[in-house]
Amino acid sequence: MDDITEFHWLMDMIQNIDVGLIILDREYRVQTWNGFMENHSGISADRAKSKEIFELFPEIDKKWLINKAESVFLLKNQAFTIWEQRPYVFRFKNYRPITGTANFMYQNTTIFPLESAQGEVQYISLLIYDVTDVASNRAALKAANANLKKLSRSDTLTGLYNRGYWEKLLRSEFRRAKRTRHPLSLIMLDIDYFKKINDTYGHQAGDDVIRSTSTIITQCKRETDIAGRYGGEEFCLILIDTTAKNAALFANRLRQTIEKKPVIYMSKKIHYTISLGIAEFNYKFSSHEDWLKASDKALYQSKEGGRNQISIYNHDT
Amino acid sequence: MDTNDLKLEEDYIDCFQEIANVAMGRAADLLARILEVFIILPIPNVNLLEASELKMALSAIDENEQVSAVCQGFIGGGLSGEALLIFNDTSFTDIAKLNKNKAIKEADESLELEILMDTSNILIGACLKGIAEQLDINFSQGHPTVLGRHVNISDLVKNNDQRWKKTLAIEINYTIENHNVNCDLLLLFTEDSLKMLKEKANYLLS
Amino acid sequence: MSTNVLICDDSGFARKQMSKALPEGWDIEISFATNGQEAITAIEEGKANIMFLDLTMPVMDGYQVLEQIKKCDLPSMVIVVSGDIQPEAVDRVKKMGALDFIKKPIDREKTKQVLAAYGIYSD
Repeated sequence: MDDITEFHWLMDMIQNIDVGLIILDREYRVQTWNGFMENHSGISADRAKSKEIFELFPEIDKKWLINKAESVFLLKNQAFTIWEQRPYVFRFKNYRPITGTANFMYQNTTIFPLESAQGEVQYISLLIYDVTDVASNRAALKAANANLKKLSRSDTLTGLYNRGYWEKLLRSEFRRAKRTRHPLSLIMLDIDYFKKINDTYGHQAGDDVIRSTSTIITQCKRETDIAGRYGGEEFCLILIDTTAKNAALFANRLRQTIEKKPVIYMSKKIHYTISLGIAEFNYKFSSHEDWLKASDKALYQSKEGGRNQISIYNHDT
Repeated sequence: MDTNDLKLEEDYIDCFQEIANVAMGRAADLLARILEVFIILPIPNVNLLEASELKMALSAIDENEQVSAVCQGFIGGGLSGEALLIFNDTSFTDIAKLNKNKAIKEADESLELEILMDTSNILIGACLKGIAEQLDINFSQGHPTVLGRHVNISDLVKNNDQRWKKTLAIEINYTIENHNVNCDLLLLFTEDSLKMLKEKANYLLS
Repeated sequence: MSTNVLICDDSGFARKQMSKALPEGWDIEISFATNGQEAITAIEEGKANIMFLDLTMPVMDGYQVLEQIKKCDLPSMVIVVSGDIQPEAVDRVKKMGALDFIKKPIDREKTKQVLAAYGIYSD
């Protein structure tokens, strides 16, 4: 076999391989453009030749690609980019009507230096891999997992944490509070005369009241506070780094906000109020259940006292 | 204190340590030039260990810290393995500040990924090249994959199963002077590579 | 009288590579040290007219050795041999009194050039 034959074989392979192959010069002008690039871009090698790559593909994030490529020129190092960074460098449409899983081709890219005999890098080569199947499988799996996780944690009506997951968080906060010395408060709250709302306006209206309460809780609380729907018309909150005194300020604000914001149902205004019980963490508690009981006691006190009010659990009683 | 022939395991370990030392110096030089900083080089940590002990190789990173990692396979000259670059999550903010091309001062999710990839391109690539040149071989590198983001070390390495028994692990911990940047480069060679590595070491000292 | 040469490196492999890279036929007496502490002792015993010094070492590293030599005005010409090739590292050791810097991996050609440049040895 002579060298010329071998050279032709190599050229044929480069032309037909199912990977995009480009060679660029120092000014990002196309020197080599293989069949994969021709077929997916619709730009022939003749047309691409000597054109700046950014002129052929104005949608390429120029700054980003230059940043990667310059480090290859400078350091003579290979650089890899993955679809998680940018789904694609070249926007190629999905070409498989049946098995295509995305609207465009996800790509991984390798950029490597082509050294001259003197060891200088005047050209770089780009390899473009189609990784659409990997990417869409991974993305689908991730979305499904995230959804599953969220579903198992949240309450369907309000989107707050459900009781099971919230109690799990309470247990771990309880353990953490025992180790650290940070103050931590628990609030239990309940919608006043909820049964009456249901009986007067119907269950749909009751659901709206519950949803509205959870929305206001979410708006009032800080990012780090942990809110859950404990059951029925009962809600629960863990306030991080908060003493009972500060929790009381927050509780009153929440109470007043709800009092002032009636729910509109079938163009009727439903005014309602809430009662709250606060218990700060205390070393006397032997479990998170003790803590819950304490806040429940305070809540009961608010109900007994005439509702639409807050009470703080007294650790000395 | 004299240099005998390589007979003992520890002589091989010493030899691999020195090869890693030279390779990591080159990698650090490239990163230092890009970021315009001085990188503090440690003595590389070389261990022959069971795959189940992999976590122990990651001595420089606290088990409770949150990390993000990229891994990349390599093969060539009878050697093969995987390189892992593990970033301490607290490093991102500081390294983002160093990156002069970017206006962003706070590291967001996508910038973090860019930093992770750019750094692994430099450190893994240069380190492998440094090792390959000393051993007079050539490595092909596979495409990198993100191994995990914002996870504990134990979550990162728990996926590996019983396919490997023994592995040679080279751990290099890079820190940047005057900055809170800490990353761990781990090179793991397969059990099959050990024989060839020893041959190469014998040759280097003959 | 032969020259006393000290090779200081924590790696046995590196010490062997270094001693192999020294010019043949150079009339020298070679000693070895595995860390900076041993190197200082060797200098004090007059075993290090010329020292090839690594930077990253346990117990006492190369920078600390250079500091000590400068501080106590110890009689030794130091050539740093290191894998840490950051320009900043080269600068630092030269400012600290090192004669020159050789990049690892060491070979006979590089060693010969440096020795010749300072008139220490030439064939």
